[in-house]
Amino acid sequence: MITLDSLKAYGANVEEGLHRCMNMEAFYLKLFDSLKGDTRVDDLQAALAEKNLDKAFEIAHALKGIYGNLSLTPLYEPVQEITELLRARTDTDYGPLMAQILEQKQKLDALL
Amino acid sequence: MQEIFRHGQGLRRKVLVVDDELINRQLLGMIVGQEHDVIYAENGREALRQIRKHQETLSLVLLDLLMPEMDGYEVLRTMQADAELRRIPIIVLTSEKDAEVESLHLGASDFIPKPYDMPEVIMARIDRSIELAEDKMTIREAEDDPLTGLYNKDFFLHYARQHDRYEPETPMDAIVLNVNRFHLINELYGRSLGDGLLRTMAEKIHLLLNGTSGLACRSDSDTFYLYLPHREDYESTLMSSLAAIDGTLGHAKITIRAGVYPNADKSVDLEQRFDRANLACSRLRGNYLTACAYYDTRLHDQELYAERLIGDVDTALNEKQFKVFYQPKYRIQGDRPVLASAEALIRWFHPVHGMISPGVFIPLFEENGLISRLDHYVWQEAAAQIRRWKDQYGLTIPVSVNVSRVDIFDPNLEQELREIMLVNRLSPEEYLLEITESAYTDHSSQIIDTVARLREMGFRVEMDDFGSGYSSLNMLTSLPIDALKLDMGFIRNIAKTEKDFRMVELMLDIARFLSVPVIAEGVETEEQYQLLKGAGCDIIQGYYFSKPLPPEEFNRLIEKELSERNS
Repeated sequence: MITLDSLKAYGANVEEGLHRCMNMEAFYLKLFDSLKGDTRVDDLQAALAEKNLDKAFEIAHALKGIYGNLSLTPLYEPVQEITELLRARTDTDYGPLMAQILEQKQKLDALL
Repeated sequence: MQEIFRHGQGLRRKVLVVDDELINRQLLGMIVGQEHDVIYAENGREALRQIRKHQETLSLVLLDLLMPEMDGYEVLRTMQADAELRRIPIIVLTSEKDAEVESLHLGASDFIPKPYDMPEVIMARIDRSIELAEDKMTIREAEDDPLTGLYNKDFFLHYARQHDRYEPETPMDAIVLNVNRFHLINELYGRSLGDGLLRTMAEKIHLLLNGTSGLACRSDSDTFYLYLPHREDYESTLMSSLAAIDGTLGHAKITIRAGVYPNADKSVDLEQRFDRANLACSRLRGNYLTACAYYDTRLHDQELYAERLIGDVDTALNEKQFKVFYQPKYRIQGDRPVLASAEALIRWFHPVHGMISPGVFIPLFEENGLISRLDHYVWQEAAAQIRRWKDQYGLTIPVSVNVSRVDIFDPNLEQELREIMLVNRLSPEEYLLEITESAYTDHSSQIIDTVARLREMGFRVEMDDFGSGYSSLNMLTSLPIDALKLDMGFIRNIAKTEKDFRMVELMLDIARFLSVPVIAEGVETEEQYQLLKGAGCDIIQGYYFSKPLPPEEFNRLIEKELSERNS
C-alpha cells in the first residue's frame, strides 16, 4: 500500500505532486494504481537492446510525462536524460542510464 | 450574466482532454473537472470523433502531441482545415520547445508544458483561451454582414479608423458602390436574385481586397463601402469585373455605379470621406452604364461655397448687402450720344467674401428659385431710383430690370409690378423689362401671353441676350417685343473677325425687319463703337461709356447729359 510517507522516503517530490492534484491525497495516491504491472520500463530496455531507437524514444517520452506529473523525481530525472539522448538518436552506451532506471523502477514497484 | 460569461465562470463548458496516458488524462481531468465538464480521447482519431460529435458545444481541446494511431499534429491540421472546427480553441500539452512553435503555427491557441504546471496556472490558461475564443466569435458574428460576409458598417468604420491610426502615411481611397435601380431588380426578379447579385458583388470586392490592407462593408441595402490603399486601376480591375456581372444573372440588366474619393484627406472625418465618394457616385445617377466617377476637391469647394451663399441670402436681403448699380445706355445715331436709359445690375457686398460677382450667384439662385426674391428686390430698388432721379432732376431715366423664367410663371407678376409703379408714382412706360431670349424659346406660348399682357399695361420689354438662344425667324415675327439686346458674345469680336461682324449686321437686319431698336451691350472700344454705329445700331451699353455705377455716381452722368442738352 503506497503512502505519502513511503513516496517521500523513495525521494518523490510529494509536495509538488500533491499540489498538482489540488492537495487531494487520495486522488494522488490513486493515480499510482495504473503503474501496477506497467511493463514499459522493460519494453524500453528491450527496444534499446534491439537498437530500435525510435521505439525507445516513444516509450521514454511517455514515461517521462507520467513520472514528471507524479513528481517521481528519482525516476523522472534519468528518464528525462535518456529521452533527450534518444530524441537526438545519440549513438551511446545507454547501459548505465538504463540500469539506473531499472533500479529506481524496482524500488517504486516495491512501494506499489 | 455578461460578467459570468466574460470570465468563463459559473457556466460549465465542455472540454476534451486528449492524451494516450491514463494518468495524464486522470490528472488533467481532475483539474479541469473542478470547473468544466470533461470528455476524453486517448488518440487523435478518437479525438476527432469526439470533436465532431460535440462540435456545437465543445469549448476547448487539450491535446497531447505524441500519440499512437493519430498524433496531435494531424488533429491540429484537420481542425484548421475545417471551417466549423476551426473556431474551437486548442491548447497543446507538450514538453518540447520546438513542438510549441510548430503547434502554434498549426493553430493552437496556447500550450501547457509537461510535467503539468500547477493547477491554478492550468485553469487560468484554459479560461483565458475559452474567453478569447468566445469573444472572437461574438465579434465575428457581430461584425459580419450575414448576406455577403463583408463587415457591417459599424465594424468597418471601426477597423478603417484603426487602419488610419496604424498607417497614417498610407494614401487611401474611399469608394462607394451601388446598384442602379436595385429596388426594381428586387421587385422584378425577386429577392433571391437581388441577394445573389449582392453576394456576387461582394466576391468581386473580395478579389480586389486580396493581398491588400483594404477593407469593405455593405453599408446598407445595395451600397458597399471600400477603403483601400490608393491605386489607379479601378477601371481595369473593379469596374470591369463589376461590369461583367451583367448577363450572368438571367435577363436582369445589372449596372453598378462607383464613386471614388482618391487619396482621401485623412483630416476629414471618415464618414464624411465616404459622403464625398457618395457625392461623386450620385453624379452618375441616371447614367445606366456601369461607371465610375471621381470626387474632385475643387468641385466640392465650389459646392460648399455655393451652399454657404444660398444660406446667406436671407441675411443679405435683410441687411441690404445687395446693391443695385446702374449702367447707362446711350442712343448713338444722333449728333452726339444721348443718355437714354440704364440697366439695373445687382452687386453683392458680402461681409466675409467681399464683392461677389453676379456671374457667381445668379446662376446659383436661378437653380433653386431664389432668383425671384432677388429680382423683386431689384425691381423695387430700381423703381425707387427712377423716382429719386425724377424728383432730383425732373427727368425720367428708364431703368431696365431682369425678369427671370420663374417670375414669368408667377401669377402675381402683373399685380406686383403694378404695385411697384403705384408706390413709386411711376407709369409703366418709364420702366423696362428684360427677358432672356432662351426663356422665349423654352416656353414660347406662356411667355408670349405674359409679355403681351405686360405690354398692354404699358411696360416696354427688351429681349435680352439675343442671338444666344434658338429663336426661329417665324417665332420672332410673332413676338411682342420693344427692343432686341444683342448677346455680348457677338460684340466681343466684331472688330477682330469679319464673321462676327457679319452676324451682328444680320441681327440688325432682323431688328429692322421687326421694326424694333437694337441695343448692343458689352461695347468697350472706340473701334467696336464705330462699327456698330456705322452698321445702324441704335443704343449702346458698355464700358466704352461707363461701367455700372452706384446711383450717386450715376448722378454725374445725368448732370452731364442735362448740361449738354442745355448748351
